[in-house]
Amino acid sequence: MLAISVMNGLVMGVIYALAALGVSLVVGIMNVINFAHGELYILAGYFSFLFASVLGLPVAPAMALAVALVFLFGLLIERLLIRPTYGNDMYSLILTFILSIVLQNAFLLIFGPYPNKPPLWVRGASDIFGLFSYGNQRLAALLSGAVLIAAVFLLIQKTWFGRIVRATSQDRGMAEWNGVNTTRLNMLSFGLGCALAAAAGVILSPVFPVTPTAGVPIALTAFVVVVLGGMGSLWGCVVGGLLLGLVENLGAAFVSSGYKNVFGFIILILVLLIRPAGLFGRAKL
Amino acid sequence: MISSSKWIGPAVLAGMCLLPLPLGIYPQHVLIVSLFYVMMAASWNLLAGYTGQVSFGHAAMAGIGAYTSGILAAKAGVNPWVGVAAGTLLAALLGLGLGALCLKMGGIYLSLTTLAFSQILHIIIVNEYEVTRGTMGLQVPGLTAEYSKLTYYYILLAATVLVLFILYRMIHSNLGLSFRAVQNDETAARAVGVRVLHLRVLAFTVASAMAGFAGGLYGHYLLLITPEIPSLDLQFYVLAMTVIGGMGSFVGPIVGAFAINILAEKIRDYGEYHVLVFGLIALVVARFAPEGLTGVWRSLGRRRTP
Repeated sequence: MLAISVMNGLVMGVIYALAALGVSLVVGIMNVINFAHGELYILAGYFSFLFASVLGLPVAPAMALAVALVFLFGLLIERLLIRPTYGNDMYSLILTFILSIVLQNAFLLIFGPYPNKPPLWVRGASDIFGLFSYGNQRLAALLSGAVLIAAVFLLIQKTWFGRIVRATSQDRGMAEWNGVNTTRLNMLSFGLGCALAAAAGVILSPVFPVTPTAGVPIALTAFVVVVLGGMGSLWGCVVGGLLLGLVENLGAAFVSSGYKNVFGFIILILVLLIRPAGLFGRAKL
Repeated sequence: MISSSKWIGPAVLAGMCLLPLPLGIYPQHVLIVSLFYVMMAASWNLLAGYTGQVSFGHAAMAGIGAYTSGILAAKAGVNPWVGVAAGTLLAALLGLGLGALCLKMGGIYLSLTTLAFSQILHIIIVNEYEVTRGTMGLQVPGLTAEYSKLTYYYILLAATVLVLFILYRMIHSNLGLSFRAVQNDETAARAVGVRVLHLRVLAFTVASAMAGFAGGLYGHYLLLITPEIPSLDLQFYVLAMTVIGGMGSFVGPIVGAFAINILAEKIRDYGEYHVLVFGLIALVVARFAPEGLTGVWRSLGRRRTP
């Protein structure tokens, strides 16, 4: 029981971390929270279901196509909705909230309220250290999530693009004086944030099928992870994501499964009470 | 402007008193629901329109009011009016707590925490089936011994007038001036001695109390309280009414609430598209006319009389 819960916690934690990285990247650079983050996760799940199960594409290209489309959609959202609100954080909150409701209802209209599920990548189960057997699909999700997180870290820490991202999130004005086109960077990082939500979506949807409103708890958890880790901190996302995944699954196993998502809320309240800047956060953005 | 606004209020009120008399049961119901939404949108406007705080937990506060009063009345036999007062108080206390907890960290935190709060409330209501009857809904007694739409209409009209009166007095006082100052330039307001944090927490507490009050009355009107009240859909409705009507304008949310609720009833005849339709309208309005319909109206008037 304990071992399985820890394992489930790790899988969920990696996905939470991935989803939270997308939020954190956008907050760090643009000081914008995308309330439609969870719906983009769901959108990618639906895309990969459409391409793989309905059109019959192989799993990998279907997933890549889904993430690419959500990335483009993210660029479009930034250009049409977010860019005109620069300097007024309130409107971006309102606009992305409305967008999330619009997407939920569009999903409901197109796909219906029923859960949809893209095909599994791998079948069967493996024996974990002789303790329990665990679904191969979940192991694959854990592995691919970890690889993607590592790739994001490489991108931010080692590349020229990453250097621009870090410079802009530290001091926007200074980055501009040094020739960074922050408008284009905003657009690109918003798209990248959406693509990270989409990546989490295509990885997890074969395990947890997508429904029109299933994105809400995912997005909320990602937001809690971002607050817990500290807004704009990438390491905070990884540590916070794993922590929350473990707490939720251990809590569900040993306290009450109906209250799985409440544990995250309790953590949020505790963080705001004790250390509002989060584990790795700067005192002020 | 002052002489005309002196007469507009009483004239509209007199009209509102006479309005339901020639109407049937169903239009009366639509009007009662509209009044609930006027209270919700007008108090949400105090947050988003006047103090620059976006709360996604306003519907949840209405749910707190409705469920507090409903549970007290249905399980403990408490008088519904006492229950509504208790629900209002609890919503105010929760507003005070949430406001104090996250407002010092800045607006984004309030939006995140209120969204989480509304989601958690939803989970608790669905899970605590014995107390709340979950998604089946909790049957509660009415506010009066005899159930009549007309009586409820006048009760909600009186409540709406009370809420609007308090909001009007708040906005057109020194307090309202400080609200505006904070929204226009927080640093400058702080520099001239406005206590920004206190002000925001106060506005959040008052708005939460009003939502709890509106929700409590609404629950006793519906006689069945379901998790539909503290839902994101209702929250979206309140937000869309304010945005489309005109954020930061006193009349905006009132116009928005009536217009959208009545339109929603019409669209509902064609199927369950109304949320999607209003979502798209709200998106376009928030993007291209951030001051809403009343803002468009005002700028049209300005253009005609230069």
